[in-house]
Amino acid sequence: MTDVARIRSARFREQRESDWLALETLVQKAERGAAAKLSFKEARDLSRLYRSTATSLSVARDISMDKALLAYLEALVARAYIAVYAPQESLAGVVTRFFASSAPQAMRRSWVGVLLGFVAMALGGIIAYALFMQDESWFYTFMPMEMAGGRHPGASTESLREVIFDNGEGAIGGLSFFAAFLFSHNTRIAIFAFSLGIFACVPSFFLTLYQGLTLGAFYALHDSRDLGYEVFGWLSIHGVTELSAIIIASGGGFMLGLAFLFPGEMRRRDAIRAASKDAMKLALIAAIMLFVAGLLEGFGRQLVQDTEMRLVIGWGIGALWAGWFLLAGWERR
Amino acid sequence: MAHARTPAEAAKLEGAGRRYSILTPPEGVPIRFEIATLIARFGAQIADILITAIGALALTLVIALLPFGIGFQAAGIVFSLLMLFMRAPYYIMAELFWNGRTLGKRLTGLRVLSADGRGLTTHGIVARNIMKEVEVFFPGTMLLSAGELGTFWTAILLLWIAILLFVPLTNKKRQRIGDILANTYVARQPKTLLLPDLAKVSPEEEFVFSASHLEHYGRFELQTLETLLRANPLDKPVKTEMRATLIEVATQIRKKIGFDDSVPDARVLAFLHAFYTAQRAYLEQKQLFGDVRDDKHHQEGTGKARPDNS
Repeated sequence: MTDVARIRSARFREQRESDWLALETLVQKAERGAAAKLSFKEARDLSRLYRSTATSLSVARDISMDKALLAYLEALVARAYIAVYAPQESLAGVVTRFFASSAPQAMRRSWVGVLLGFVAMALGGIIAYALFMQDESWFYTFMPMEMAGGRHPGASTESLREVIFDNGEGAIGGLSFFAAFLFSHNTRIAIFAFSLGIFACVPSFFLTLYQGLTLGAFYALHDSRDLGYEVFGWLSIHGVTELSAIIIASGGGFMLGLAFLFPGEMRRRDAIRAASKDAMKLALIAAIMLFVAGLLEGFGRQLVQDTEMRLVIGWGIGALWAGWFLLAGWERR
Repeated sequence: MAHARTPAEAAKLEGAGRRYSILTPPEGVPIRFEIATLIARFGAQIADILITAIGALALTLVIALLPFGIGFQAAGIVFSLLMLFMRAPYYIMAELFWNGRTLGKRLTGLRVLSADGRGLTTHGIVARNIMKEVEVFFPGTMLLSAGELGTFWTAILLLWIAILLFVPLTNKKRQRIGDILANTYVARQPKTLLLPDLAKVSPEEEFVFSASHLEHYGRFELQTLETLLRANPLDKPVKTEMRATLIEVATQIRKKIGFDDSVPDARVLAFLHAFYTAQRAYLEQKQLFGDVRDDKHHQEGTGKARPDNS
């Protein structure tokens, strides 16, 4: 076989082929995933063979004209690269890190966005309350009718009281309430306030303001019938968590929008990408809080009929959230 | 340049329908990945939706068979809740623990890659799948209830969906908004197939080529011949329908390179293999010394290397 000796690239292949095949076997095993974990020796071989095969590819690109060989090496190095740089995470590790440190840290770093969200909602509430007290017909402007559920300035005080102390239809009723909550208007507001924030904060601001307007008008209606304290309890049991979730979601939107408006030294795309690290955590926190708020609205509000208890539960859970955000995840120096 | 001057350029133009991205890992050897088409990604998404729906349905059945005695209506609610709660965690966990592959992506041969040449990060996977809720599922479920929305909101929804579908077309890696935020993209899973070395199975030196014979062709012609020879291995009898083609090719080559010895029809394949081996050795040798010949239109002796390589 004198020809084989004459062709450098064929010699090159002969010397290295066994390494490539060994790498291919290891990569296949790694790709099968957690079921077939690599041993220490195999993991070490994987990274060693990956590096040597990457070098082979680099050399082959220069010295070989064998199209099939180049395609093979290219695909093999690509698959090995994916296997070598696979994320090394465990579920417990990811979840623990999120709750113990990264989520509260992201909240504290994003205080500007959360503050803006809070200001927008408070502003909406105050405006709607003040306008309602001047003229009750403003209620129809602020409140979508499908949400009001028969509660409007024309309704009697008695019917308003009935809704506040309605004890539902047991567990199945609670479940459907819970489901309705999650697919509801307010969840949509949270999703939009987060995801549209990237358009220079404007949509987040108006959505949160709008949420404040409905809240303010709703409260003002009951307050004008001397049901202010009762409706405050009715809203508090889930609303503390739910409205905080909307504020946090819009806070995430504000952080994205601020990165878009003021990218600083970075390119706009990079600035938004950097801001999304915290914003995504705010979105996850908001999702968790909406879930809890859904449980509270679906089950808690019907089971607890006493206004004081509703206040205690609502604000107690609110204090737990605040404690998580403010106290967890500080690094010791 | 819609106009191809040489066969090699024509082949390049033809291959331009596929999109590639070059990714440079820390080892510094650039790797090429083929970017997934939007149709393939749509298929993977449909498969994933079916898989989660079947999973949620199975769980609902289990819950319904448990002795709680829940009714038909409650089962419907349980199903829709399960769909909601399984969705994002399924995509995130599948991509995190199976390294960028959900079951739907496995079926369609796709995978998520990090665009910066490092591994996928947890943040990247979470970000692209949270945005998937906003980009895919939210407008999708809205569309299902579009009848109740009214004309104005339906128009807004359709505009929203059109923008979302348009975004991947505006960038090279076909990234949707979630991919851009997470700095990821979807590529095709590379397939590895090691074919035998053609130069290795070359026969005894029945045909001898001189340098003047090997001056004429370049890499493109060599690799075209390689494709032909891989379809006709030496150790198998020549297929009857291929015989005429092989004889024609051999005649053309002999004419072009001025190879005067006669080649009997029975030895045509042996001749082509021998020529391939000799030509490859010659071109590789030339390339080592900086004389890169892309195709037969290379300029004699000047070593007209590709401009980016000089």
